[in-house]
Amino acid sequence: MADDKMSRRDFLLYAMGGWAAVGVAGVLYAMYKTWEPLPDVKAQATTKFDLSKVKPGQLKVISWRGKPVFILHKTPDMKKCDNRTIAGEYTVVLGICTHLGCIPNWEADKKIWHCPCHGGEYNACGVNIFGPPPRPLEIPPFKLEGKTIVIGEEGPEYKKLMGQA
Amino acid sequence: MEKKGGFIEWLDRRLAITAVWRIMMSEYYLPKNINFLWSFGVLTMLVFAILVVSGIFLLMYYKPDAKLAFDSVNKTIMMDVAFGWVFRHTHAVAASIMFLVLYIHIARGMYYGSYKAPREVVWITGFLLFVLMSATAFTGYLLPWGQMSYWAAQTITTLFEKIPFIGPDLVIWIRGNYIVADATLTRFFALHVVFLPLLLIVVTAIHLYAVRIVGSNNEDGIPMTKEEKKVKGIPFWPVFMAKEYFVMSVFLLFFFYLVFFNYDFAMDPINFQPANILQTPPHIYPEWYFLAYYEVLRGFFFSQNLGLIAFVASMFIILFMPWLDKSPIVSGKHRPLYKIAFWVFILDFLFLTILGKLPPTGLFAWLGFVGSIVFFLFFAALPIISKIEKSQVERAGR
Amino acid sequence: MKELKILAVIVILVLIGYLGIEPLAHGIMHKHVEEAIKKYNLPDFKFSDLDPLPSGITGNAEAGKQAVQQFCVSCHSLKKEGINAPMPPQAAAQSFGVVPPDLSNIGGILDKKYLYNFLKNPQKATENPKFAMPALGLSDQQIMDIIAYLKSIAKKDMNGEDVVKEGCVRCHSIKYQKISALSPPDTMKKYLGKVPPDLSVIYKAKGEEYLNAFINKPQAIIPGTGMPRVGLSQEAQEKAIAYLDRISDPHKEQRQKVGLIVLGYLLVMVGLTFAWKKKIWRNIH
Repeated sequence: MADDKMSRRDFLLYAMGGWAAVGVAGVLYAMYKTWEPLPDVKAQATTKFDLSKVKPGQLKVISWRGKPVFILHKTPDMKKCDNRTIAGEYTVVLGICTHLGCIPNWEADKKIWHCPCHGGEYNACGVNIFGPPPRPLEIPPFKLEGKTIVIGEEGPEYKKLMGQA
Repeated sequence: MEKKGGFIEWLDRRLAITAVWRIMMSEYYLPKNINFLWSFGVLTMLVFAILVVSGIFLLMYYKPDAKLAFDSVNKTIMMDVAFGWVFRHTHAVAASIMFLVLYIHIARGMYYGSYKAPREVVWITGFLLFVLMSATAFTGYLLPWGQMSYWAAQTITTLFEKIPFIGPDLVIWIRGNYIVADATLTRFFALHVVFLPLLLIVVTAIHLYAVRIVGSNNEDGIPMTKEEKKVKGIPFWPVFMAKEYFVMSVFLLFFFYLVFFNYDFAMDPINFQPANILQTPPHIYPEWYFLAYYEVLRGFFFSQNLGLIAFVASMFIILFMPWLDKSPIVSGKHRPLYKIAFWVFILDFLFLTILGKLPPTGLFAWLGFVGSIVFFLFFAALPIISKIEKSQVERAGR
Repeated sequence: MKELKILAVIVILVLIGYLGIEPLAHGIMHKHVEEAIKKYNLPDFKFSDLDPLPSGITGNAEAGKQAVQQFCVSCHSLKKEGINAPMPPQAAAQSFGVVPPDLSNIGGILDKKYLYNFLKNPQKATENPKFAMPALGLSDQQIMDIIAYLKSIAKKDMNGEDVVKEGCVRCHSIKYQKISALSPPDTMKKYLGKVPPDLSVIYKAKGEEYLNAFINKPQAIIPGTGMPRVGLSQEAQEKAIAYLDRISDPHKEQRQKVGLIVLGYLLVMVGLTFAWKKKIWRNIH
């Protein structure tokens, strides 16, 4: 009895199906939101660090969003590079090899970073000089507040640096 | 499900989907004289689906550890996770409403005689589903690790202590400790999220299969052959489901009203205090859906052992309804005596439920005793009523 | 029609059950709370059981400052005036059970009449015989001076969080707000008999009516409790409870908004499914 009706395009059935789809989309949106990082994770989005704590020639490793950030206070005998130097005398780079994501080690005598995984090397500017890495170590977004660096926020200095590169 | 072309046909040749569709949906006929109470079976499935989905999302942040559980629920899920509170409220309210839907589903079966031959297997699997759902609710209730969670689990597991000979050892074995503790939490967690839901799905499948074989009962309890139904009945799809969708959306309206605006009844205030093994709350009581049985347990206040036996009996006696009631008349609609007994039983169940939350002192204790006796009198009356009806039918037939 | 009748029966039975389980049982189980509220007319911000303020004496804040320097700072700090606590908090808690409160803002949250009685006889005002602060034997004039002084230095327009931090956090933690009690738990346990409960979701556990009565007169609700009567003024207590409500249920606004959207959505769904049902069932009788 209802069969012949069903074969016709049943507007009501489609309207119902469409409206149900709206509801499902709403539920999916709520589900999608539950997977976002929690507030205390988001709170780690920026890391503050006082650059003056690093003595000339010294390397400090800090953590930003769970990743290592190398902060190197350069000395005159190290490789110079204006387009990768922050606050005049610091190299600040994400300590993750651009090849396959290992963490390179600082070799103070040679003044280079050496990646233990596949032998990639970076100079004191963080530029790749040997081995498989395809590009220099990444500079994280930062903002300068005097001698304090806020990693995770794009300040004017960062934008200027990126414009040069 | 008309054949739209290549893919459907391709699939059909391999999975016989159109045949399945016909058997399960479009050519599964239901009697016409059924009311919306027959929709409650599908509603339990809907609520079960809601419980599974919301449960999965709770599971992603819940931590089954006595030290972390309370905060993972009340801080992480309720405050930090975006929309986490929706999933928690939905899960809690759905757990509570599941029992309302189940009780209506069961009461419908009782009133219209759906437990009678040839539907005994439907009734038994249904009873099993009820027991499994109760176990799921009970184990789940411990997980937030609040005061009420903890002391409910503590007292209910203590009941096993009264079992002769093995009782005391059994309690320790169930808890994995001398008291309800971390080990109890983790095992209840495993039962609640994996074991019991799996069993529920399996038994649901058998329950549905059995219904498809013997067919739905109807208001008048008239047995119909498949051919009769084809002529006089309505197909499950689209006719029955058209009504079902309407009932479902009305139900969901009510359900989400509770979730957003009246969720308190499903979340006891005492449970917002973390479990404290050194302090029992001044009043402890189970969730509303166990109150009637709890009251039977307390009803025999003069003898703990009698109360315990009555408690167990009150939960299992309903299983034997098909054999207690052998009346040739199926539907309560045509059984005046049974009708009276049925309504007395329903009101008594409600009475016991309300009493179950009140302190068991003075008058309340005696009322509980009377209510418990009435509870069992209903089942005792069933063979008598059916005997009277049998002789009436025989006399009329002669 | 017949189906509506069935629905009506179900609705009535469910309502009887609901009203019986919730309000009725609640009323019977919380009888002593309700009786106490009625008996003492709680919350009683007039503090009727305490002595009235002495008439004809007005406090002098300048003199009060002197008196505070003389009588109070041997135990209490007064950070606003640059006076630090004489003992480190650990040691203070060891000897008194709890850390004595800083007096900078205390005048802003306590009721004047209560404060007068408190300074006269702390044990009586707090209704806690074990209360650590002794009676100092001050004259009415001295007390009124001290009150005038404390009121004059206290921060104006304190919000709920300020009140709770001044009034409650000496003993109570609020874990979910990353606030821990100033006094260490083990000394408090010795002093009060148990570690005071965390306040993160206490509003959900106790509700407004209970908190309003309990904070105002703890002994009336739980005889023998270790919690002293703190003597919050009406304004301060209302702010504090509103704050406890907010932190226990931070998504209230979102819930109400989303709830309305969902219910609106479902109403449309009910309409659509009803129309479809009508259509399918038109030919079935």
